[in-house]
Amino acid sequence: MAEILVLDDVQDAVVLVKKVLTRQGHNVQTFTEEQEAIDHVGKNHVDLAILDIKLKKMNGIQVLEEMKKLKPELKAIMLTGYPTLETARTAIELGAGEYCVKPIDISELKEKVTDVLAG
Amino acid sequence: MSSPRPNIESDYLTVFQEVTRLISTVHTSQEVMDLVVRRLPSLLDVDAATIRLLDAGTNSFVLGAAWGVSDEYLSRSTIDTKEVMDTLMEGRPTARKNIDVTCDHDSCAFISNEGVKSAMSLPIIFQGQITGLLRLLTKDLREFSDPEINFAMSLAEQVGIAISNCHMFQEMKNQVTFFKAQREISQLVNSTLNLDQILGAIVKKLPGIMGVMACTIRLLQPATNRLELVAASGVSEKYLKRGNISRENSIFKVLKGEPVAIYDAPNDPRVNYHDEIKEEGIKSILAVPIKNDQEIIGVLRLLTDSHRSFSASDIHFAVTVAEEGGNAIEKARLYRKITLLFNQIEEHERFLQTILDSLWMELLVVDPDKRVIMVNKQFLTTHQHTEEDILGRLYRSISPRTVEDEQQFHLEQVLTSCKPVTVVKQYQEGDQEKWYERHLTPILNSNGQVDFVVEAVNDITDQVMLEQEHSQRMKLQGVIEMAGTAAHQLNTPLFAALGTAQLLRDDLSSEEMIEEMDLVISNLKKMGELTREMIDVTGYSSSEYVGETRIVDLTPAENK
Repeated sequence: MAEILVLDDVQDAVVLVKKVLTRQGHNVQTFTEEQEAIDHVGKNHVDLAILDIKLKKMNGIQVLEEMKKLKPELKAIMLTGYPTLETARTAIELGAGEYCVKPIDISELKEKVTDVLAG
Repeated sequence: MSSPRPNIESDYLTVFQEVTRLISTVHTSQEVMDLVVRRLPSLLDVDAATIRLLDAGTNSFVLGAAWGVSDEYLSRSTIDTKEVMDTLMEGRPTARKNIDVTCDHDSCAFISNEGVKSAMSLPIIFQGQITGLLRLLTKDLREFSDPEINFAMSLAEQVGIAISNCHMFQEMKNQVTFFKAQREISQLVNSTLNLDQILGAIVKKLPGIMGVMACTIRLLQPATNRLELVAASGVSEKYLKRGNISRENSIFKVLKGEPVAIYDAPNDPRVNYHDEIKEEGIKSILAVPIKNDQEIIGVLRLLTDSHRSFSASDIHFAVTVAEEGGNAIEKARLYRKITLLFNQIEEHERFLQTILDSLWMELLVVDPDKRVIMVNKQFLTTHQHTEEDILGRLYRSISPRTVEDEQQFHLEQVLTSCKPVTVVKQYQEGDQEKWYERHLTPILNSNGQVDFVVEAVNDITDQVMLEQEHSQRMKLQGVIEMAGTAAHQLNTPLFAALGTAQLLRDDLSSEEMIEEMDLVISNLKKMGELTREMIDVTGYSSSEYVGETRIVDLTPAENK
C-alpha cells in the first residue's frame, strides 16, 4: 500500500483516480489546488504524485519541480489531455516515471502505478 | 672751335651738308641718333654728344644715343639744372660753362666725375613740339658763341626732322607689317575654339611681329575677378613666378582700358619687381587691355630686351590684336562652357538611363498625344521590342496586356485629372495567372498642365502569391490550434467518463448490463481516438457538405 497524491483541476478526474487506486489498496489524497498539493508533500509522506499538466495557476511541470525540491525521492506520473514533446521531455528530465495521455484506460493506469511504485 | 675760324661760314656749310647727307642715308631713328652723336663731336670740335627723346608716357627724357661719355654719367637721374630744362622746354637753346661747379641738383657728382665743364643743350623740335634734346659737351671750359649755338640749333632741327621722318617711315613700314600680321593672327585665333591654342598663337606670334622679346597674357577669372597668368613666351619660369602684379599701377590703368608704355621698366614706378625685371633683361614694357566688346577681360604685356619708345602705331596694333584675341578668347570660353554643359547633360542622361534600365519594373513615358516617347530596358526585354519599334507609336498599340478600354481609360483619367492613378489587375498569360500593379504618374509643367505621363508596371505575382500563402497558413494555424484546444478540453471529462464506466463495469453482474456498458466504454474509447487525431493534426482540407456549408477533413501528422 502506498501514499498517493492526485492533482487535477477537474474534480471528476481526481475522484475517478482516487476510486481506481483506492480499490487497489492505496491511500489516495486528491487536490484541485496546486499550492495545497505542494504543501501536502512538504508536510506528509507521499510515495507517488499523479499530476495533470494543465492546472489552474501553475502547470504540472512547475508543480513537479517544486515537489521534487521538497522530496527528491518522490515518484511521479504525469497525466495530460494535450501531450507535447517539450512537456514530455521536461517531465522525464525532472524524474517523472511515466507520461500518460488522457483518456487513459484504467487498467493501463493501474499497471503504470504499479510499475512506477516498483521502480 | 675754341676761336672763330676765318672761313667759319664755309665750315658750317660743309658740316651742315655732311650731317644732312649722312642722316638721309639711314632709315631708322636709332641709326640717325647713333650717327649724329658719333659724328657731331669731331665736326663741331666737342668731346661728347647725347640725344634724349621725350617719353610721352612719363613726360621725361630718356636716352636715345650717346657718344664720348660713360654709362655712369648717362645713368644720372637729373640731366641738368631746372633753369636749363625749363629753357629747353620753352624751345630755346642754352649753353653753360662751369657746369660741374655751378650745379644745384642731385647729380652734380656724376658731372664732375666725368670731367664735363661746358654743355650746349638744344631742343629737338618737330612741327612745333619738343621731341627730344641734343647736348654737346666739352671737358674744357668753353664759351659757345651765338653763331655756334645758332648753327647747332639748325643741326638739331635737322636731326628732329630726320628722326621724325624715320619715325614716319618706320611707322608706315610697321603699318604694312602690322596689317599683314593682324590678318595672320586673326586667322589663327579664329580658326579654333580651343582656348589654349588661341592663347598660344598670340603669345608665340606677336613677339616676332612686333620685334619684342616676350609676351604674356593674364585673364581675369570670372569667379574671383583676379588676374591669372594663362600664356607666356620668351621669359623664364622664375620671372613668371615673381609674384602678384595685380597691384601694379600699370595694371590698374590697363584694367581701366588705357594702354601703358613703359620705356625704362627696371626703374619705372608703374611696375613692381624691378630686381626681377633687371635680372630677366627686360628694358621696356607695353601693356594693353584685352577686351571683349566693351568689357575688359585681361591684360596683354609685351616685353623688350632693349629700350624702346613704343610708337602710336605699335600701341594701336597691340590694342587691335588684344581686342581680336579677346573676342576669340571669349568665344572659346563660351564654347568650353557649352561643351562642359553638354557633357554634363550627356552624363546626367546616361546616369538616368542606367538607373531606369536597372529597374525591375517596366517604364513607359507617354506624351499628351498618347504617343510613347521613352521606354526602359526592362520593358523592351520583357516584350522583345527594340526602341525603334516603340518610340513614337500610340500608347494603345504597344501597351501590353491590353484590356483596351480600361487601359485607355486610366491614361485618359491621368491626362484630364492631372493626378496619379494606381491600378492592380490580374491577367491570364498562357496558363499562368499574373498580377500587375500599374502606377500612372503625371509630370506637370509650370502651367499645371500634363507634359508627360510616366507609367511604371510592376509584376507583383510573387508578392500576391506570398500573401495568399501566408493567409492560408494563418487559417491552418487557427484550425490546428482550435483542434488541439478542443481535444484537450474534451480529454479530461472523457477520461473521467471512461474511467467511471470501466469501474462500473467491474461492479456489474448482469451479462446484459455488462454488454451495454462495454458499448458505452467502446464509444468513449473511439471518442478518445478522435481527440488524439485532433491533437496530431497538421493540415486540413475542406469539402462540400450540405448546401453552402463545408466540412473540414483533418490530416494527422503521419499522413502528411
